[in-house]
Amino acid sequence: MTSKAVFSTIRRSLTKPRGGAVSRGHHLSTSAATASESYASDEHAILMKGVRISGRPLYLDMQSTTPLDPRVFDAMNASSIYDYGNPHSRTHLYGWEAENAVEVARIQVAKLIGASSKEIVFLSGATEANNTVVKGVMHFYKDKKRHVITTQTEHKCVLDSCRHLQQEGFEVTYLPVKTDGLVDLEMLRESIRPDTGLVSVMAVNNEIGVVQPMEEIGRICKEHKIPFHTDAAQAIGKIPVDVEKWNVSFMSMSGHKIYGPKGVGAMYVRRRPRVRLEPLMNGGGQERGLRSGTLATQQVVGFGVACELAMKEMEYDEKWIKRLQERLLNGVREKLDGVVVNGSLESRYAGNLNLSFAYVEGESLLMGLKEVAVSSGSACTSASLEPSYVLRALGVDEDMAHTSIRFGIGRFTTEEEIDKAVELTVKQVEKLREMSPLYEMVKDGIDIKNIQWSQH
Amino acid sequence: MVAKCQVISLCRSLLRAGCKYPDYNIREYTKRRTLDGFRMNKNLTDPSKVNDAYAEGKEQLEVVERVLKVYLAYPPKTKNIMELKV
Repeated sequence: MTSKAVFSTIRRSLTKPRGGAVSRGHHLSTSAATASESYASDEHAILMKGVRISGRPLYLDMQSTTPLDPRVFDAMNASSIYDYGNPHSRTHLYGWEAENAVEVARIQVAKLIGASSKEIVFLSGATEANNTVVKGVMHFYKDKKRHVITTQTEHKCVLDSCRHLQQEGFEVTYLPVKTDGLVDLEMLRESIRPDTGLVSVMAVNNEIGVVQPMEEIGRICKEHKIPFHTDAAQAIGKIPVDVEKWNVSFMSMSGHKIYGPKGVGAMYVRRRPRVRLEPLMNGGGQERGLRSGTLATQQVVGFGVACELAMKEMEYDEKWIKRLQERLLNGVREKLDGVVVNGSLESRYAGNLNLSFAYVEGESLLMGLKEVAVSSGSACTSASLEPSYVLRALGVDEDMAHTSIRFGIGRFTTEEEIDKAVELTVKQVEKLREMSPLYEMVKDGIDIKNIQWSQH
Repeated sequence: MVAKCQVISLCRSLLRAGCKYPDYNIREYTKRRTLDGFRMNKNLTDPSKVNDAYAEGKEQLEVVERVLKVYLAYPPKTKNIMELKV
């Protein structure tokens, strides 16, 4: 009881609550400010990178990463305190306890994807898993197999690994996608050659959210006896994943996309029929020799608990997220025209909504939406000024590709947040369209594409 | 079999603990998930199933209260936009 009083007094002294309207009149008082320059002395306003926002933005970027679920946090705490032994030490209790914890997590991950726990390898994330599979499989079979098939909308790590293989002398086919983002199965069939060593297609795209036809691709690969790799980082825990139904030989998984910790991931490597792989990390032969190195026990435990939770809550979360997605899309479409959804609306994961707003400039839209944490394109490509390669592969025009915004809805998003995001987006787009001469011309009925712009 | 008043008291404790979270999203999620969880199981009649559901609820209550203590020990320095504007 006293601890509650202590905590509440600490809380009250640190966050002086001022309910109601935002106090914008208070400016920085340099003497009173504590060490960090990034926060103004007015606790509600945040001043960072030259931008002033009144409070923490609402988080709608679930595809780049997700917040840690409190239940996962709880399991990780217990594990970090007690399971500090090296799971690979066979001689004492600390090692045995840590190993038990890791094995429990392995079973939890395996159950989520319908695999056996002996087929799961823990590593540092989906990027490492993708690199290990793409490079490892081709290096192992480099005498007989020289060809890799992948798509143009893969994650950067897969595309970069394929480019690395090209520099070593392998051949790579980058399959184009249709305008709705799905892979053309006929083209896949035609590109298969006798020396194809790997087919890599991601299950759920991180930028546009389309779900590829995994069963059909798996069937094609089984016919031709080619190992099938999928990057399922965005898919596990969100859509039902079954390695037997999809007939995958390799799968990459990531912890921080399913409300787990960052810095951990897993790789599924099929044992029947056996596929061989050259490891990327050499060392003491841990994890079946495929990834040497001491496992971070508490990260792995957190990942396991996150997978178990995802399995239990999948149906409930799916219903909630679908409802929020419809609310968002309908809310925006009611008030605005010229809104295009990038990617197929039917074959899609509900929590990823990528919208393009016509006649609006992308950077200014993002700068105006500072109170909503969204992303345009993926976090990996946002450093450059080019529009996202995924949208370019879909055949989206340059100007529409620049104004694309990716809304990520997750387990913790609320209806009020969606309503507020709709309100802010609509306000910003209307404001920008008001200022846009192109929009005026469109309203007058002029077709923009047929204008002859005069040179000065 | 667990009595109705115990189930209601468990629900009330979960909701009360959930309301104290300083983080807006976790707070709303705990409230929504608790109510939906109890609603989904409201028509259970088999005593063993009712007891199982009650035991699971009690476990979740322990987790919520433990994690709440840590969250309160590191209070946020800034308020979420949803909590500021009316």
